Amino acid sequence: MTSETSSAATLRDNAEVAEALGRTYSAGFVTKLETVSLPPGLNEDTIRQLSAIKEEPQWMTERRLDAYRHWLTMKAPDWAKLKLEPIDYQAISYYSAPKAQPKSLAEVDPAILEAYEKLGVPLHERAALAGVAVDAVFDSVSVGTTFRKQLADAGVIFCSMSEAIRDHADIVQKYLGSVVPIGDNFFAALNSAVFSDGSFVFIPRGVRCPMELSTYFRINAQNTGQFERTLIVAEEGSHVSYLEGCTAPKRDENQLHAAVVELVALEGAQIKYSTVQNWYPGDENGKGGVYNLVTKRGECRGDDSKICWTQVETGSAITWKYPSVVLRGDRTIGEFYSVALTHHFQQADTGTKMLHLGKDTRSKIVSRGISAGRSNNSYRGLVKVEQGADNARNYTQCDSLLIGKKCGAHTFPYIEVKNPTAIVEHEATTSKISDDQMFYCRSRGIREEDAVSMIVDGFCKTVFRELPMEFAVEAKKLLEVSLEGAVG
Amino acid sequence: MLKIENLHARVAGKEILKGINLTVNAGEVHAIMGPNGAGKSTLGNVLAGRDGYEVTAGTVTFNGVDLLALLPEARAAAGVFLAFQYPVEIPGVNNTYFLRTALNAQRKQRGENDLDSMQFLKLVRERLKVMNLPADLLHRAVNEGFSGGEKKRNEIFQMALLEPQLAILDETDSGLDIDALKQVATGVNMLRTPERAFVMITHYQRLLDYVVPDFVHVLADGRIVESGDKSLAIRLEQHGYAGLGEPEPTGASA
Amino acid sequence: MNSPASSPLLTSLLAAPLPQRGISWLDAARRENRAAFAADGLPDTRVEAWKYTPLRALSQRDFASGDSAAGTREVDPALFALPGVAGPRLVFVNGMFRADLSALEALPDGLVLQPLSRALDDDAEALRFVLSRHYRDIGDAFARINAASALDGVVLRVGAGVKLAAPVQLVFVGAVAPVALAWHARNVIELGEDSELALVEQHLGTGEQAHLGTLVSDIELRAGARLSHTLLQNAKGANLIRRNSLRLHARAHGTMHVLELGGALVRHDLQVELTGDGARFDGRGVFMPHGRQHIDTQLAIRHQGLNTTSDAHWRGVASDRARGVFRGAVLVAPGADGSDANLTNKNLLLSPGAEIDTKPELEIYADEVQAAHGATVGQLDEQALFYMRSRGMGRDEARAVLTGAFCRAVLGDMVNQPLREHLAESMMAHLPA
Repeated sequence: MTSETSSAATLRDNAEVAEALGRTYSAGFVTKLETVSLPPGLNEDTIRQLSAIKEEPQWMTERRLDAYRHWLTMKAPDWAKLKLEPIDYQAISYYSAPKAQPKSLAEVDPAILEAYEKLGVPLHERAALAGVAVDAVFDSVSVGTTFRKQLADAGVIFCSMSEAIRDHADIVQKYLGSVVPIGDNFFAALNSAVFSDGSFVFIPRGVRCPMELSTYFRINAQNTGQFERTLIVAEEGSHVSYLEGCTAPKRDENQLHAAVVELVALEGAQIKYSTVQNWYPGDENGKGGVYNLVTKRGECRGDDSKICWTQVETGSAITWKYPSVVLRGDRTIGEFYSVALTHHFQQADTGTKMLHLGKDTRSKIVSRGISAGRSNNSYRGLVKVEQGADNARNYTQCDSLLIGKKCGAHTFPYIEVKNPTAIVEHEATTSKISDDQMFYCRSRGIREEDAVSMIVDGFCKTVFRELPMEFAVEAKKLLEVSLEGAVG
Repeated sequence: MLKIENLHARVAGKEILKGINLTVNAGEVHAIMGPNGAGKSTLGNVLAGRDGYEVTAGTVTFNGVDLLALLPEARAAAGVFLAFQYPVEIPGVNNTYFLRTALNAQRKQRGENDLDSMQFLKLVRERLKVMNLPADLLHRAVNEGFSGGEKKRNEIFQMALLEPQLAILDETDSGLDIDALKQVATGVNMLRTPERAFVMITHYQRLLDYVVPDFVHVLADGRIVESGDKSLAIRLEQHGYAGLGEPEPTGASA
Repeated sequence: MNSPASSPLLTSLLAAPLPQRGISWLDAARRENRAAFAADGLPDTRVEAWKYTPLRALSQRDFASGDSAAGTREVDPALFALPGVAGPRLVFVNGMFRADLSALEALPDGLVLQPLSRALDDDAEALRFVLSRHYRDIGDAFARINAASALDGVVLRVGAGVKLAAPVQLVFVGAVAPVALAWHARNVIELGEDSELALVEQHLGTGEQAHLGTLVSDIELRAGARLSHTLLQNAKGANLIRRNSLRLHARAHGTMHVLELGGALVRHDLQVELTGDGARFDGRGVFMPHGRQHIDTQLAIRHQGLNTTSDAHWRGVASDRARGVFRGAVLVAPGADGSDANLTNKNLLLSPGAEIDTKPELEIYADEVQAAHGATVGQLDEQALFYMRSRGMGRDEARAVLTGAFCRAVLGDMVNQPLREHLAESMMAHLPA
């Protein structure tokens, strides 16, 4: 009697809550703008046109064409645990930009400024997030970067990739493609051919970047792929913390996002790269949503350098990304902290690669996966210790939480060790939120849904701790929203 | 306040409670004793509304309301508190955050305003002193890495903070050394008021040396087989649970 | 990709005529599996299950099929004598049944134990389901060639309710011959409801000769059956590719201890299906590659029934230029509530040229589940080493003791005490100096 009555009531309550709230994807609005777009389709001419619109130097055009020719010889990857419709690369427009090209933030179309305002990323410097410089990328182009002067005073270059290609060609030529070569994988090759914009960061020797740098990516236009390219170079002894956020409107079609991010840390440098990924995940029936197929890799090129990836992945219909660290220098450190939450029909296949090449290198991997609805969530990772990597250390911990009976949680770690002085440890668990935990919370007066988000938040705590404060708060909220209707 | 009539309950298809009758009035302290497997903890869990405990007959009213129809969280808001025999660990969830969420959720259901963090912290500090618990406990995750004694004291601390009308202590004394037992008892005694009632489920008499009950009931095989005052507990301590419900052996009370 | 049929291995294996027994379904299955093998050839390392075991070198070798002198090759019975094991015995040499070395007199009631060649004469139909299997994946190349070519093997059946006290011993020997041989064995084992059997299986070699042996076993445990299976491999220089498929029905309990000591290229696919409610599998294994050995264990456990349990712990010690590979995949199927899965793989890497590749996997589609896995690669605990040295032990001795203890842990729960002691000693003898 007791249990039946209460669980029936719970079910009903949850159904009502779910119905009332649905999946509130608050970033799902569309901004009406006049845009300049290339017609859908991809061939050498499209790439030349794209390069011409961006007024790129010859070497860049050639690089793009090389990448394109390489891409033509490649096959789309075998989709691991993912199910997706084949992508028609000829149906995508490879360039879309607001018509009015601003020279400075002051000239940016008010509709765009309003869009960022709505997303909680105001671009006016006086209203801007204190201590965070933002580069805003709207569809294919960067629409503005805040706090440029303060950064320039410190010697930091933070601008769009297009600008960097024009104004800092020597640095771009030296480092672009040095971590993720043109032919690294199918999507990296495509990106190398057609990337439109992205952020460029250069921290000179010995400089500690005076503020958090942040790029906010927004897909707006229909049938557009977003192919941004980010390059961060931290010279000897420098420090930088970089954040990226992503959203897209609700659309019934799938949108393609195939970014490449390269990080280079020279001797003693430290790069912290944090992502809160909230691309449109599709609706509760699995319709629409972004295909987020991303190559992210950092190289600890100099001794004693450190790269730390932190990601909170709640959006996208499909996520396929493995932010990696090549530990080339001696005593270098790679870290990866990840929370991936999937609901409804979302699919996530994410993890990391830690390649130990230098001596006394260390890596740490903490992954928390949460699956709800009919979603599938996989951790896939590689820890590789090469012969010369004396005293390499890795510790990996992957935990998965299942909410509901129709979802899946999977763990596929690869461990390859060729050095007898290495110590590699991997642990993984999969479980659901225990009935005991739920009952304990509820008997203290906490509603079922609140108890779930509280327990999930606790489950993710070790990862959230790695995020800058503002992002940690946002990440927590995002989880709550994403879990709505998951219980019952 | 609490009226249990002819309560029958099953766990995993097995009948554990076979007709419990018990009335608890405000201000009273009831001790429920009995051998292992008698159904003591089942009674506590049924009252708090744990899943998997199926009530097959009988009624439970709390201040005139059908307690069994309420969700666990609604029972908490109504003023029923269960101190768990095995408090649950919730990794990563900060104890303070947990308590504040719980308290405000209960206040909300009762139509009261949320406490802001200052008010809440003040209250917490006050109650922490009562239980003589270290302040660092607040910054740790709920029950995670707590010793057995800390977990039990944390339960009483929660009770002090949530201020229930009816507190059910499920073997809160088990596994405690004498100092921890005394601290738990002190906490309970400080919370004894004419408005608040306690049901203490225990296997041993020793807690009752420190928290003197008004009534003692013996639960055996799913029924209350004997009720009395404190002296019943002492008799049980001397003679065990064998021969319950039989006339007192002559010369036993000498 | 090279044209698969061009490799010497394929050419030599396909050169042998298909065995014909005049059993139409069997001959058809042989034909089809052979055709699939010929068409697809060997898997390369892009096939996930063979990612860490390249077959390039093996594919360049050729092997004569069948050994016409297998019936008379000399094998010293001391080779397979084991303490604590003195029951019925079936011995195969280079794939051929050897009555002279076997012990089949006075079999206990309820036990059927005979070579496959004889079982096919007696009642082929009873074997039809298992032996007419088609292997569909290129990763199953060796199961295909085994299905096409195996002339003999073991048929073992334990009747319902029969509890056998003495262990049954199955011995597969690769004996030195004038040329390197390919031999195959196909085993079918079935335990009836509530029966009990202890099985000791040995894969041995009389010399360092690099034969190619393939073994495929189907093992079925009916409801409530209990099997304790010990697999000892010390095949010297042989290439040995084996597949054990276990199927456990309701409440069945399979226990397995696997010791991989010898061999050049060694592969063991161990597939466990917990089909029935309450089925349980306990697996323990150790692989100790040294020299240039390559030992690959692929364990796949599938939880299908309700309240099933798997507990699997494998350990590896790799030295010299050897490579140890382990994959332990646990899958919990939709609806398999109450599954409890625990898997670990711990490894010691003892030399600069050695390599360990390990890949524990969880694939979970049900939520009432407790599942965990762990894997480590490392060295002996320095503190323990120091502790032992401070008690007067030399460094090398301390290392040997600790390494021995590391391996012996997998034998901890083996019931047959004399056998356990013997296996522990074999492992110790196998440790690098």
